[in-house]
Amino acid sequence: MNAEARTYQKGEIPGIIGIDADVCKGCDSCKRYCPTGAITGMFGAIHSIDVEKCINCGQCLINCPFGSIYETVDTVDTVIAKLQDKSVTVVGIPAPAVRVAIGEEFGMADGSLVTKEMYGAMRKVGFEILDNNFTADLTIMEEGTEFIVRARHALFGEEAHGHKVGPLPQFTSCCPAWVRYVETKYPSLIPNLSSAKSPQQMAGPLAKTYGALEIWKKPPESIYTVGIMPCTAKKFEASRPEFASAYHFLKKEGKAGSDTPYPDIDTVLTTRDLARLFKKMKIDFTKAGETDGGPLAEYTGAGTIFGNTGGVMEAALRTAYKVLTGNELQPLEFKPVRGMKGVKSASVTLMDTKYGKEVTVNVAVVNGIHGNIEPILEKIMAGTSSYHFIEVMNCPGGCVNGGGQPIKSGGSSWLRAALPLFGWK
Amino acid sequence: MSKNQSWILKHPWSVRSFHYLLVLSFIPLAITGVVLFFKPFDQLTMNLYMRIHVVTGVILTLDAVAYFIIGFTRVIAFVKRSFSFSVNDIKWFSILGGYPQKFLLGKKVPVPPMGKYNSGQKLFGICVLIGGTILIATGWGLWGFPHILPHGMTALFGTLHLVFGWILILFLLVHVFLGIYMFDDFKAMFLHGKIPYEEAKEMAPLWVETEIVKIER
Repeated sequence: MNAEARTYQKGEIPGIIGIDADVCKGCDSCKRYCPTGAITGMFGAIHSIDVEKCINCGQCLINCPFGSIYETVDTVDTVIAKLQDKSVTVVGIPAPAVRVAIGEEFGMADGSLVTKEMYGAMRKVGFEILDNNFTADLTIMEEGTEFIVRARHALFGEEAHGHKVGPLPQFTSCCPAWVRYVETKYPSLIPNLSSAKSPQQMAGPLAKTYGALEIWKKPPESIYTVGIMPCTAKKFEASRPEFASAYHFLKKEGKAGSDTPYPDIDTVLTTRDLARLFKKMKIDFTKAGETDGGPLAEYTGAGTIFGNTGGVMEAALRTAYKVLTGNELQPLEFKPVRGMKGVKSASVTLMDTKYGKEVTVNVAVVNGIHGNIEPILEKIMAGTSSYHFIEVMNCPGGCVNGGGQPIKSGGSSWLRAALPLFGWK
Repeated sequence: MSKNQSWILKHPWSVRSFHYLLVLSFIPLAITGVVLFFKPFDQLTMNLYMRIHVVTGVILTLDAVAYFIIGFTRVIAFVKRSFSFSVNDIKWFSILGGYPQKFLLGKKVPVPPMGKYNSGQKLFGICVLIGGTILIATGWGLWGFPHILPHGMTALFGTLHLVFGWILILFLLVHVFLGIYMFDDFKAMFLHGKIPYEEAKEMAPLWVETEIVKIER
């Protein structure tokens, strides 16, 4: 822990990503991928990470050709110990992007969708399952509904009951690297972030309240929640002290079972970590068998596409359309926000049946913060942006290319705009 | 140069100028490469070493490309000579050209007849040809595109650059020592290009017999 850290709250993990000085070649690859300029070190010299600027996205890690960048937080052994402790119910919360990547760690073809195999292997080692797709659906209901509230407030002066309505444009808030980016670099735009928690942080309280009491019939304090994420920044997100909602709710209800607050998410494993856990526990993923996820593994296509760039926006627009017009968006696919362009934008005209007026919504999807987000933020700050709703994913391609995903020997440089060539300074 | 002595032009101008630039670029490349490997200095100093490494690497590349174009026939001849082997090469390596006996025991042993380059020089030539090409190609990849090339390829480039860098540095030490030891050849390479006929006849009898023709002036 870095006691000097100034951009972290008490209890947060400062510095999820580290550079091994013995392995670093000073080649500058990582600097080219870092969205915040957090990597210091001159060309040819050993590099290091400024934890104050780092948003924990792990793009440097998956793009270091020499494998010199590593995660400082490794809780695989802790999770194994919890799985072996019969007094603990370990709930695995696999994110949408994990199921299309973990197979690669076991020799399966790139992009293999292995949801049921993943459930099977998780069950075999002792996990209960709360599929994060389920809470991705909840997030999108929250974000979509919040957007409608903000839009109606801006257009028709409608007030919300019991809370202040945030400004437009509304940013998505499910990417923890993006949230920290706003907090550290553009704090005046914090009100523009959706107030909805990320799917991971909705899953934690759900597991420790409804899941514990209604599904598994276990004391909430005996539930150990494990986010299984394609993302290194999720480790940081889970450590944020404000995320102890389950404890505070249960305390009020007299069901907390402890006087010491417990976090909503106890720990986070990346996709790579989960693969390592299976290997350590001698599970042959390819032969683990297929099972269903159970009652907390029901989800829609909206939750599924969360892991892809444009997925959150597409899901939000479907929700907003349904809420405003009462009908399903037809066709369901909203293709203008798909694809690998750095910034994608579209306009959608919707009929708000409550007010009987057509509303044109300008949306944007930022596919990778690096090199894409600043011009948009500057326009918003100058009051000249025409956007109403903006999805921002730190990693190019979305969570499928997150810092916690299997490291591809082919790299992922092709996913983004051209980066500078030829190191010098 | 004595006017009464016969001389053979061993290293023409094109070879000498290529070699000058090679010396001027490879020695700093070797020194900075070793420093970059051990990383002993602070940020600014390491960056300075890297910049020198890059600049001298560019010079070496231009030198090699220019020589390949301008001295193409010489390059072909060098490749041909380097890759021509006979039983004499085995015999030469079995006594290491007689150098250990000379240096360690003060004894002169019979050495099998050699062409323009002896077997050791041919091995060095092969290493320079293959290793140099690999060092140049991987060096450009590592400098310009480490983040764009597939990671596996960049990592392989790093390993090849390291292995061939060390091989050529170690060969360079032997090459410099023997180059200075054979001082007439040293003078020929750095000054006028010519070596005494008698020395050529002793050191490279096959070359003198088969390729050297007398020019009347």
